[in-house]
Amino acid sequence: MLEMERVNTSYGTVPMLREVSLRVGEGEMVCLLGPNGAGKSTTFNAICGLLRAESGQVRIAGRDVRDCGTEALASLGVGFVPEGRRLFPTLTVRENLRLAFDAARAPALEFAAQIEKMAQLFPRIRERLDQRSGTMSGGEQAMVALARALIGEPRLVVMDEPSLGLSPKLIDEYFQIVARIRDQGKAVLLIEQNAETALSIAERGYLLVRGRIALQGASADLLRDDTIRHMYL
Amino acid sequence: MANHELSLAQPRPATGPDLAIVAGVQLGGAALLGAFLLGEKTAVVVALLAVMGAIFALLQLRPGLEERIVSAFRAQRRPALALGVGIVLAYPFFMQGSSYALHLLVIALLYSVLALALNFQLGSANIPNFATGASYGIGAYTSALLALNFGVSFWLTLPVAAVVATIFGFLLGFPSMRTRESYLALVTIAFGIVVHQLLNNFSWTGGPNGLVGIPAPTIFGHSFAQPIEVLGFRLPSQANFYYLSAALVALSILSAKRLHDSRVGLAWNALRADPLAARCQGIDVVWYKMLAFGVDAFLAAFAGTIYAFYVSYISPDNFTFLVSVTIMTMVIVGGMDNTLGVILGAFLLTLLPEKLRIFADYRLLFVGVIVILFLILRPQGLFPQRPRHYGGPQ
Repeated sequence: MLEMERVNTSYGTVPMLREVSLRVGEGEMVCLLGPNGAGKSTTFNAICGLLRAESGQVRIAGRDVRDCGTEALASLGVGFVPEGRRLFPTLTVRENLRLAFDAARAPALEFAAQIEKMAQLFPRIRERLDQRSGTMSGGEQAMVALARALIGEPRLVVMDEPSLGLSPKLIDEYFQIVARIRDQGKAVLLIEQNAETALSIAERGYLLVRGRIALQGASADLLRDDTIRHMYL
Repeated sequence: MANHELSLAQPRPATGPDLAIVAGVQLGGAALLGAFLLGEKTAVVVALLAVMGAIFALLQLRPGLEERIVSAFRAQRRPALALGVGIVLAYPFFMQGSSYALHLLVIALLYSVLALALNFQLGSANIPNFATGASYGIGAYTSALLALNFGVSFWLTLPVAAVVATIFGFLLGFPSMRTRESYLALVTIAFGIVVHQLLNNFSWTGGPNGLVGIPAPTIFGHSFAQPIEVLGFRLPSQANFYYLSAALVALSILSAKRLHDSRVGLAWNALRADPLAARCQGIDVVWYKMLAFGVDAFLAAFAGTIYAFYVSYISPDNFTFLVSVTIMTMVIVGGMDNTLGVILGAFLLTLLPEKLRIFADYRLLFVGVIVILFLILRPQGLFPQRPRHYGGPQ
């Protein structure tokens, strides 16, 4: 579903990602871990085409991201949860969802039915559909951001630090929902600092350190790995 | 917002009071405007301004009152619309044959169109375009040149001028895409100045002397230069253009409403809030910004064409940077992304300087003070943006 092949990027003359390669297969849940400043968000930007790779390739559903552009990714079946949610605060929850629904260009889906589905997945947002998203609490906004990524029934969901700023109790609730998405057979790339939680629901993981993939493997192996234990657990 | 939804959910009182509120607000507004237009003594004008100020102070202090009025209008949409159309149609008959009052109305209506045009950009998408005055000028000059040189009829120049201005709008949009915010504003200011300078220096545009003798339009043999005579009433010739401009305002309101309630309006609001996130939601930011430039220029050119044929004489000085600034002030004072507010802003800022001629030397100062007062007291404008009904239950 998603392939990054030897991607290099830099901000001006400062190199950020160096030879980063990663893969998320159809229906697979993969996490990308790393400390602050390792290049996690840069990876996210490279995947959604907001940042151009200097060399290497990012392919989503077989298409080169550079060729099709950020705007077209939603219609290729990708849902994004950007860092800090980035909802449109002056628009209502329903409008936020509507934009994402339209962007998916899925004629087989019906908006009302999808809204109902999201309301079942996130009971907290049901009564708040006509509230401006900027007036909601952080936890509710996180749920709306996830619903926005899911409403067009994507095949791949890419999340950048979705649990940032959530209370421990909410984090549990949030990742239970993420696990349910995984069980529905969607491919997920979860970019996270919270290694233990991420590895507990992902099948595989990558560890990004100073712009390079330092480690990769099955979640169970990574959980036992000394580097990760030392860095996080 | 929450308050507003609650008030909608509560059981509604009988329709009687709703109708009375709608009629009261519309007739009261029309009467106030009429008194203002016909008032000749400065003291009367100032007193009327005080009344207006008091009304808005009341609305500011009692938000519930505003919600009550809004919900009344919502419940009685059709009667409100019918009464509104009736008032607009009958209005010239109450102007006591004053061609000056009608002239002010025409100008205010044309500025309403311009402010609505800019509102698509500034209000919906937060693109600070200081070139609406230039598009207005391009429209006016295109149609005037066509009419003077080739004898093209007014009705044909209307769409042609709009298309030409739209092309220029896209041309302006193109370099603007590489810039944002203050820099974007600078690009549009430069565009406006370039247009003004070119109009001033080309010989085929008449240079600083402009174009003279633009023929009045005719419809079914009736020339717009002649007074209207109906049922024994005799309306000054300005009434022709009053009805024409009012029709254009209606068209603008309709397109504003359609766009606001569509995916386009939503996409504009989204890219105003967060351009990067908007791209991730499949919104082609470049296309939607260009579209905003195009729509602005299109409507502005309509207004420009009507203006040119109305005054029958145009010069570059009608379309200066100051015109663009005035239009922008109307949008800010009226309320970004609120159709009614923007129209009210346009009326206020067209009529006030005319009526306060006595302070002519201080007119700019006066406008400046108004803007500053608004930014302090009511930063969202007279009427703030309303929630829309796209994709939700109607």
